Amino acid sequence: MNNNILNIKNLSKSFGAFKVTDDIAIDLKFNEIHALIGPNGAGKSTLIKQIVGSVKHDIGSIILDQEDITDLTDIERAKIGISRTFQVSSVIPKFSALENIILSLLEKNQKTFQLFQNLQSNKDLFSKAERILIEIELDNQSNTLASELSHGDRRKLEVGLALAMNPKVFLFDEPMAGLDEAGTKMMINLFKKIKSQSPILLIEHDMDAVFALADRISVIVYGKIVATGTVEEIKSNTLVHDVYLGYEV
Amino acid sequence: MITEKFFNKWIFLLLLIIPILGLIFNEPYYITLTTKVIILGIAGVGLNLALGYGGLISFGHAAFFGIGGYVTAIMSYHAINEELLFDWLIAIPGSSEMLIIWPLVLLISAFFSFLIGLLSLRTSGVYFIMITLAFAQMLYYFSISWPTYGGEDGLSIFMRNSLPLVNTMNPLIFFFICLFWFAVSIYVTSKLINSPYGMALQATKQNEERVKSVGIETFKVKLIAFVFSGAITGLAGSLYTDLNRFVSPSVLDWHMSGEIMIFVILGGIARLYGPLIGAAFFIILEQTLGAYTENWQFWLGLILILEILYARSGIMGLFEKKNKYE
Repeated sequence: MNNNILNIKNLSKSFGAFKVTDDIAIDLKFNEIHALIGPNGAGKSTLIKQIVGSVKHDIGSIILDQEDITDLTDIERAKIGISRTFQVSSVIPKFSALENIILSLLEKNQKTFQLFQNLQSNKDLFSKAERILIEIELDNQSNTLASELSHGDRRKLEVGLALAMNPKVFLFDEPMAGLDEAGTKMMINLFKKIKSQSPILLIEHDMDAVFALADRISVIVYGKIVATGTVEEIKSNTLVHDVYLGYEV
Repeated sequence: MITEKFFNKWIFLLLLIIPILGLIFNEPYYITLTTKVIILGIAGVGLNLALGYGGLISFGHAAFFGIGGYVTAIMSYHAINEELLFDWLIAIPGSSEMLIIWPLVLLISAFFSFLIGLLSLRTSGVYFIMITLAFAQMLYYFSISWPTYGGEDGLSIFMRNSLPLVNTMNPLIFFFICLFWFAVSIYVTSKLINSPYGMALQATKQNEERVKSVGIETFKVKLIAFVFSGAITGLAGSLYTDLNRFVSPSVLDWHMSGEIMIFVILGGIARLYGPLIGAAFFIILEQTLGAYTENWQFWLGLILILEILYARSGIMGLFEKKNKYE
């Protein structure tokens, strides 16, 4: 039995003569955190955008849970179980933290097109959202507008939005950027907990966090995967040291 | 500062008092004027759903206002002349019954908003503004070039359409009919914006990419708002034709779209009663400044500039607590 939930094969994308992703092959197994590391501009975020469908790839295929999703739109991919955070926090600024989470719960609970039922009467949505806020330690900011949250709290809220979708895979794009030590610790513990629910493809520059979390690491440079392996294998890979870790550690 | 709900109650009370005072002091003109404010307010409530809550800056809502107006006038024209409206395959007569005309107006306005929305919502920003304007102008020139229904001169219907058991020619009764529809349009809008769907709509206005990423079909969300918006504005057009017993291509003109937008902006974007306040302010300016100068719109322009610079929440925002969805 194939134990990969996500399989990406030969994925390439060029902007003019510039290849942002070049023949990428990467997979994500059940119960796994697969970290994707590499220098700025290596193509990590573009890869995420191709997986979620917001950037169309030139060639290649994406298989999610045995289903070819290559030709699906970004919304269809989100519906069938791809949930993401953005590199730059993207939330609904004039909604409270609680409202942001409720928004994320709507589609999964088939509530989006309830035109005339009062939102407040959906008690189950509110209790689910409150549980998620507790999980991401934002329950004390429940009624704060997202635009008024600190940067770190907005990062947490984004993870909360992803959690609310109860997806098949999580794609987290630098979720720990700008978090303080406590925030990073909280996030590490949370990711360890949720990876059994849905595996995580993680882009992160905080190497301590990556080494603490990742079951496997892939290194991407100039749009190409140059190495894939366990934490120890990547740490001892001289090529990876030369192109990325060398100036990080 | 007071809450929006509290303020809205006072506005509604004031709406009831003015025509009653008009009746007591035998000034039916003020009843008709208040009726006009309410009808234009309904048109604004329609646009506010798309523009205020959905961020869809439609510069073509005159299309729906005009469709409502023309459907009403054409139905009535055929009923008065005892001519068939349609005699190809099946024979459909005209009607001067409001209970037949209103559902028809709602259906046809909704159908046209669906068609226009289906095409125009594929664009955004300035392109959306231009494409909605283009659709309305197409209908405007079509109405001018349609001599059967008056062409450039418009179409008179002589008698206001009827409603069982009441005399719709009585200004106070027609006022209450319009007030009823205003209350219905407010109720429908309020239900929509406070529903899970309303949450998706208001979120789409703020950050569409994020809403898509949680699996919500934002195109469908916007299209539904546009259809409701067009239907409400179409109903206002129907009432407007009955008020004046006349319809002309001017109701389809871009000036009309601009005026409906001004009601929304003046009163306060994304405020339930904002368009009504905007329409009232517009009519008051027209009646007062218009008595002194033909070019009273100069002062309207000045007020709009000041509002956009210093009071973006509109007239309602001056009295009320800040609306977080503005």
